[in-house]
Amino acid sequence: MTTIGKLRTRFAERRVTVALSLTALLLAGVPAMSRATAATSEGLECASGSPTFNLTARDGYVSTPDGNSLYMWSYGTSSGKFQLPGPTLCVTSGDKVTVILHNTLPEETSIVFPGQRGVKADGDPAQPQLNGTGGMTSMVQVADANDGSVTYEFTAGSPGTYLYESGTDVNKQVQMGLYGALVVRPAGHPDRVNDRADSKFNTDHEYVFLLSEVDPDLHLAVERHDPVDWSAYQARYYMINGRSMPDTLAPNHASWLPNQPYGALVHIKPYDASTNPDPAVIRYLNAGSVNYPFHPHGSDERVVNIDGQALAGSGAEDLSYLKYDIDVQPGQSVDAVMDWRDVEHWNASTNPIPTTIPAITDQLLVGPDTWFSESPYLGTKNALPTNITDNNECGEYYHVAHSHALQQATNYGATFGGMMTVFRIDPPAGCPAN
Amino acid sequence: MSDHHLRNTGERSLSRRALLTGSLGVGIVAAGVTSSGVDAASRIGAGARLAAATHPAKTVHLAGTDGWVSMPAGSPPDAPFYPDTLAPDPFDTYVFGFRDVTGMTAQQVAAQRGKAQISAPMLAFDEEDDITITLTNLGLLVRPDLFDGHTLHWHGFVNAIPLFDGVPELSLAVPVGRDFSYFYRPHDAGTYMYHCHFEDVEHVQMGMTGMVFIRPAQNRSPLPGDPPGTKYAYNDNDGTTKYDREFAYMITELWSAAHYRDAHIQVSDWTDYDPSFWLLNGRGYPDTLQPGGDPLSTAAGRLQYQPISSLVRCNAGDRVLLRLSNLGYQNHAMTVDNIDLTVIAKDAALLKGRDGTRNYIVTNTVDVGPGESRDVIFVAPGPGEYLLYDRNYSYLANGGGPGYGGMMTKILVGAPGTYPAQPAANA
Repeated sequence: MTTIGKLRTRFAERRVTVALSLTALLLAGVPAMSRATAATSEGLECASGSPTFNLTARDGYVSTPDGNSLYMWSYGTSSGKFQLPGPTLCVTSGDKVTVILHNTLPEETSIVFPGQRGVKADGDPAQPQLNGTGGMTSMVQVADANDGSVTYEFTAGSPGTYLYESGTDVNKQVQMGLYGALVVRPAGHPDRVNDRADSKFNTDHEYVFLLSEVDPDLHLAVERHDPVDWSAYQARYYMINGRSMPDTLAPNHASWLPNQPYGALVHIKPYDASTNPDPAVIRYLNAGSVNYPFHPHGSDERVVNIDGQALAGSGAEDLSYLKYDIDVQPGQSVDAVMDWRDVEHWNASTNPIPTTIPAITDQLLVGPDTWFSESPYLGTKNALPTNITDNNECGEYYHVAHSHALQQATNYGATFGGMMTVFRIDPPAGCPAN
Repeated sequence: MSDHHLRNTGERSLSRRALLTGSLGVGIVAAGVTSSGVDAASRIGAGARLAAATHPAKTVHLAGTDGWVSMPAGSPPDAPFYPDTLAPDPFDTYVFGFRDVTGMTAQQVAAQRGKAQISAPMLAFDEEDDITITLTNLGLLVRPDLFDGHTLHWHGFVNAIPLFDGVPELSLAVPVGRDFSYFYRPHDAGTYMYHCHFEDVEHVQMGMTGMVFIRPAQNRSPLPGDPPGTKYAYNDNDGTTKYDREFAYMITELWSAAHYRDAHIQVSDWTDYDPSFWLLNGRGYPDTLQPGGDPLSTAAGRLQYQPISSLVRCNAGDRVLLRLSNLGYQNHAMTVDNIDLTVIAKDAALLKGRDGTRNYIVTNTVDVGPGESRDVIFVAPGPGEYLLYDRNYSYLANGGGPGYGGMMTKILVGAPGTYPAQPAANA
């Protein structure tokens, strides 16, 4: 629905936000990505200290692209401040992992590690906690409210990706943001998803997509110490790594998202057998309460691991499969490898696309900026009308990737937001600025 | 309409006759001059000739517009949303949708404004075809205040060129009154979808959703022992995807309140999504059983603009292919009682590992998430009636009313020889 009136109101507000974010991305993000800091400015970033991690449960605020501010609970490092989601914990299968949880929240909290075996809490087996009458108070031993702590230990299990999340008052505390990603790498092969050689990936192109949702009314109630009405629960914001589109495109540690350090831009080059043979890997995690059917445009992804287990038969047969939509269930993890293959090698002079190239230019129908190169050819960038802000560097391709439960790909109902990001495909030689 | 705008923009007119005769080959390509500048001068090349020689040109003309459809008779009212008081008799629900206008004159195309259908026309192509789909945006008859673009997104197709992928924020949209030709060359057989990606949460829910089948090269050179004309779903090399009849299902929900608000100049908060009807090919049961129709004919009455039947008719022993695609926003568990279903593919990918390990799934319930597809084969058992339905029983209703409705249809199995060879999908 596009009207003059709407362009002046709700739609316009969203678009202004997008334009501002993109301007900031151009000014701050892209130059940063083009320098030697690229390794930490996009893609998976592991917390320091592995295999011992200090996490502090605390409260803080995150921002959404429509200008809202949400009160959250999550995990920060002991020396660091609040962040959403919690730090990404990277370990190697067989590591003795220690996670020390400090609690600054006004109520008890804890951490469960679904998929890990033999977890201990302060030296005892982690187990449900009961009150005097047999009612369960927590799935595992807690850190007391207001400065308590507890230490969890386990031996890292099967290679793959896992959630770690609150095990106390779980419906509320996980909704509030107490979750993070645990990445277990196969021993001796940090460039594989699992123990199979065919799960090899390009370690420069490794991504976690931790998917979640927020009902802002519920968060406001918690912030105000009001009762929480679960019968009225209605998610309005849908996130990847604690951010909603277009904030998902900003680099890690973008200065304008101080409490949401992890981006979700996938930035690759076309597959090439000799110069770029290995795929990227995307580690999907669902920390929410409903399925998130995630649809990447322009490229299938090969599902090789689910819930930390390789898709393989008893005789090591390959049971992986290609998908154009990965329907991630609550609590599930799905590891998928993906590349983008230039099958046709269209070239304006030597191999032109056998159709008449449409002559429509941007019409301001969806806003004052575009990622489009104004050419169908990878690596070709043409001029834009001067009233359109140009986000394209050198003719690179952009494909969107988003939840196909399309109400989840909105910011509180406003389209082209929410659980959405972009896959950027550079020309084989890269952009000159890179 | 389109010729007019082409003259206005100074673009060379791509003649409708050339499109309709399927001759979008070297001649047209070589003569094409575009305003995109850099690429225009060098469009004549050996590559184009080679491509034209080995990749048959297939053209389709679609129009995007609004219109009116009918939910099953007897559905309980939900004032003010359903039935919509603006709806002309015999309709009750406002939609956006596509129409196939291939072969029509410009005047005939323009006359389809306000006559959208749901779900969109089913399209079928062969691997290696050079497909050009021209989309004309006819605007919205009921909402002249809106200037929504439309696009065509090739859902699930790899190696897409952003210009032809239909995401307006990453390329372009088709403004009201104009044409845009989307190109794609498929290499991988399977069950795909297409939909408008302009303000996607709205335009998809409003009905701009359809299916695309890509037929495998193996159809052109059947496996040893199989006669010419044998149909396969995939290049399986073992005949396991061979079928006699195919039936395709675009699975969607319809939220009456949002459709009403679009007709009545109001906006919806899409995170309130709360559908009222559950549809197969744009119809709720028992309308799903009605035969296929032609939106140019009034013969089907209130189903004139919901022309796609969901009734399965087959003979005992037939191998039947079900193509299931979901462009709703909920998961659906499609179930058949008394018949084993074999899932051979998900998302247009045959369930075989990279080492060739076959990983088909035998089941009686097939979960299809939003944006996903499944290919399922069953062997028709003895003559009788069987049900195909969503195992989520709350979706087997029309607007919350009593009795059976929603995502359900029948599989009619006749004795061998009862039904002649199938002329087209869903026939």
